Amino acid sequence: MADNKKLNVACIGIGVRGVGLLKNDLLNIDDVNVVALCDVNTGSRDYPKYISDRWGGLDAGIAMVNEKYGRLCKGYQDYRKMFEAEDIDAVVIATPDHSHAVITMAAIRKGVHVYCEKPLTHNVFEARKITEAAKVAGVVTQMGNQGHSSEGIRLICEWIADGAIGDVTEVEAWADRPADYWPQGGLKRPEEKTEVPANLDWDLWIGPAAYRPYNGCYEPHDWRGWWDFGTGSLGDMGCHVLDPVVWALDLGSPVSVDVSSTEVNSEGPPLALILTYDFAARGDKPAVRLTWYDGGLMPASPDDLELGRRMGDSNGGVIIVGSKGKIMCGCYGSSPRLIPESKMKDYKKPSKTIPRSVGHMQEWVDACLGKGNKPGSNFDYAGPLTEIVLLGNVALRAGKKIYFDAENIKVTNCEQANQYLSRAYQKGWSL
Amino acid sequence: MLDFISRRKFIKSSSAFGLFSILPACVLVKPGRAAPSDKLNIAAIGYGGKGPSNIKRMESENIFAICDVDSNHLANGLKAYPSAKGYSDYRKLFDEEKSIDAVMIATPDNSHAVITMAALERGKAVYCEKPLTHDVYEARKVALAAKKAGVATQMGNQGMASEKLRIMREIFEDGAIGDVHEVVYWTDRPVWPQGMLKPEKSELPPPYLNWNLWQGPAMDRPYHPSYLHFVWRGWQDFGTGTMGDIGGHLFGSLFYILGLRPPEYVEGTSSHFSSGWRAVANTDSYPRASVVRWHFPAVGNKPAIKLTWYDGGLKPERPELLEASRKLGSSGIFYIGDKGVIYNTRLLPEKRMKRYKLPAEKYSRSAGHYEEWLIAAKGQGDGCGSDFEKAGLATEAALLGNIAIKPGLEGERLYWDHENMKFTNNDSANGYVQRQYRQGWTL
Repeated sequence: MADNKKLNVACIGIGVRGVGLLKNDLLNIDDVNVVALCDVNTGSRDYPKYISDRWGGLDAGIAMVNEKYGRLCKGYQDYRKMFEAEDIDAVVIATPDHSHAVITMAAIRKGVHVYCEKPLTHNVFEARKITEAAKVAGVVTQMGNQGHSSEGIRLICEWIADGAIGDVTEVEAWADRPADYWPQGGLKRPEEKTEVPANLDWDLWIGPAAYRPYNGCYEPHDWRGWWDFGTGSLGDMGCHVLDPVVWALDLGSPVSVDVSSTEVNSEGPPLALILTYDFAARGDKPAVRLTWYDGGLMPASPDDLELGRRMGDSNGGVIIVGSKGKIMCGCYGSSPRLIPESKMKDYKKPSKTIPRSVGHMQEWVDACLGKGNKPGSNFDYAGPLTEIVLLGNVALRAGKKIYFDAENIKVTNCEQANQYLSRAYQKGWSL
Repeated sequence: MLDFISRRKFIKSSSAFGLFSILPACVLVKPGRAAPSDKLNIAAIGYGGKGPSNIKRMESENIFAICDVDSNHLANGLKAYPSAKGYSDYRKLFDEEKSIDAVMIATPDNSHAVITMAALERGKAVYCEKPLTHDVYEARKVALAAKKAGVATQMGNQGMASEKLRIMREIFEDGAIGDVHEVVYWTDRPVWPQGMLKPEKSELPPPYLNWNLWQGPAMDRPYHPSYLHFVWRGWQDFGTGTMGDIGGHLFGSLFYILGLRPPEYVEGTSSHFSSGWRAVANTDSYPRASVVRWHFPAVGNKPAIKLTWYDGGLKPERPELLEASRKLGSSGIFYIGDKGVIYNTRLLPEKRMKRYKLPAEKYSRSAGHYEEWLIAAKGQGDGCGSDFEKAGLATEAALLGNIAIKPGLEGERLYWDHENMKFTNNDSANGYVQRQYRQGWTL
């Protein structure tokens, strides 16, 4: 280590999110020393169609790190070579969903601490295995659901524990995606062949997924709308939107998930869907029914919400219904309020018993350096959260209500649904 | 006014109030021209989608003229009815043919109201496909004009004449599931494309189509084949989406069997979302899927009723009373009362239905959907199950749902003042109650 006090971090996946994590988090943390970057695309890519002022690609990332540190940062195209060549303490993974697990597992096996973007994995089985492996390895982990470190989510947990809304039996949650963030719903695999962009190693981008020819409809940005690579609106936003609910209510695994949606095919998730999760009673907490809406669909406005008042925020929101009242918040647990506002005004807030976060990335860096507690969304928490979210996709692809045996990772009422809990990797890849 | 029986009485009494003991075919315009035994002169306007099958059911009368802006449709009609006169412009038809008694309108939604109004003004009996009109204002105006004209009117929601509907009403009034407080409806429609933006390119209209006339009162736009035929339902300027297509059926029957009054508020969300930093504002076409909620006020000692609508393949949660082995159909309805649930026409669970004894027949059965109208057009019979007063209310309720899913209005309760025909808490919603017509067109 060049500097004993610093954490040597490598970043894998220097796209829109990877750049954001570098620029907004890693490069601003003094304890971090970014030693290497890795992306299957060694050049620079812009994303003009989607986000006018953001860009990605290995060269672009390296230029940014070099400018910050005034020295040369190493670049790799293949994360496996990077792990062999570099002495890395910790890794930040912001690749498409389908390669989260294999990269995370490779890091864990090397005893490297992991910060991985949400959803933690591409399927339920991977989430379970990663969670177990991280525990055994004892590495420091954090999933990139940054709302977990927010004030809002803590307030929700404290108010519910305080009995502010009584016993919670019902939750309604929604996300606005895909909107026009990426195309999704009834997509058909393109037949025309297009040239692989210069500097892109398409085989590596595909990674453990089944091979298919390159097309711009998958890479760099729109992979979320394809089952082989992404996990749809639900996978994108579920770990954010449901985070306060899962934490505050300690939901555990769902007993069952029911589904209805617009057209869903073997290629990708639907434009819009509604899921109904049933969670069993936990100790003195009653059973909970959680309904998820996405694609622009939302639950009914509660009778006690003031007329004209917006539900949630522009990304989505949650309404938590208890025996004595309701809490409404936006995505990431933001701006929680008892509704109606008069109830909020009358509420005597409990003392803040949950420790506040130093920041989502900082938590992880501190813990990696032995200076702090376990990060809040470590994989013991994030793994089960991801499982809940991804079980929705299992019901969706099975096209029916599924009953889930969490202990044995098995759908008990529909044999054909089990194929969606895991998947076969392309030759040469394993978890 | 929503009570079928009192309406029937009204029609009977107004007939008795009439001028002739033997009523002519066309009461107000041509007194004494035709006795009830005579045949009606019927003009068909719109002979594409639903036109031919409607006219087929009116063959007992004289199919006097066929009018269609598509010369292929027109040729089909004239082939089927060689003695009929052919027109492409309904205005010319009305100007030139004075002996028309009754009009069957099966054009795209966009032109229902203007054609219906032209017919009513001339005292013709009108059969018009559902939805009655393209927007709420039109529905109100057409219903009022029909009342004033006093002619026989019928909207093309055939279910209103069904025995099923009468039995359903008898079952509810029998108290089979107590007071209904919630209704949940779902449909797999649209079965035509929705969720598109306007085509950027245009084409020359095909020689057989009068594109200008086809557009009717809608704002002029360049021709493109993705607008017609049939698929016009998905385009906001021409069709009324799933809501208009199937809502006319749904609301007609709900108003009849549950005795609803106009909704108090409507609220919707859809797969067209308009929000955040990259808004998707789309008023070109209707969304691929929506969830819309209507709230109907309490009537007398009957509680308020919440109606939730799912389309585009979305389905509601399964009621606990539904047996696990039973699948939800691609479309269906749940009536939820304080004493039970009815799925489509049967009590849940099925074993309760098997024990249930249907109540005695209380409401007289219809002579048939088309027959009702033909008889009424001759000044006889018990009136029409979907006359424009009823059809107007049903159409308005359905079309309010389309307003609830306009970009920027989604997720908001829109309170509806039926009497004054406006939303009380959202001015931009009021902008959708009545659309602007192209120059040269009026209602």
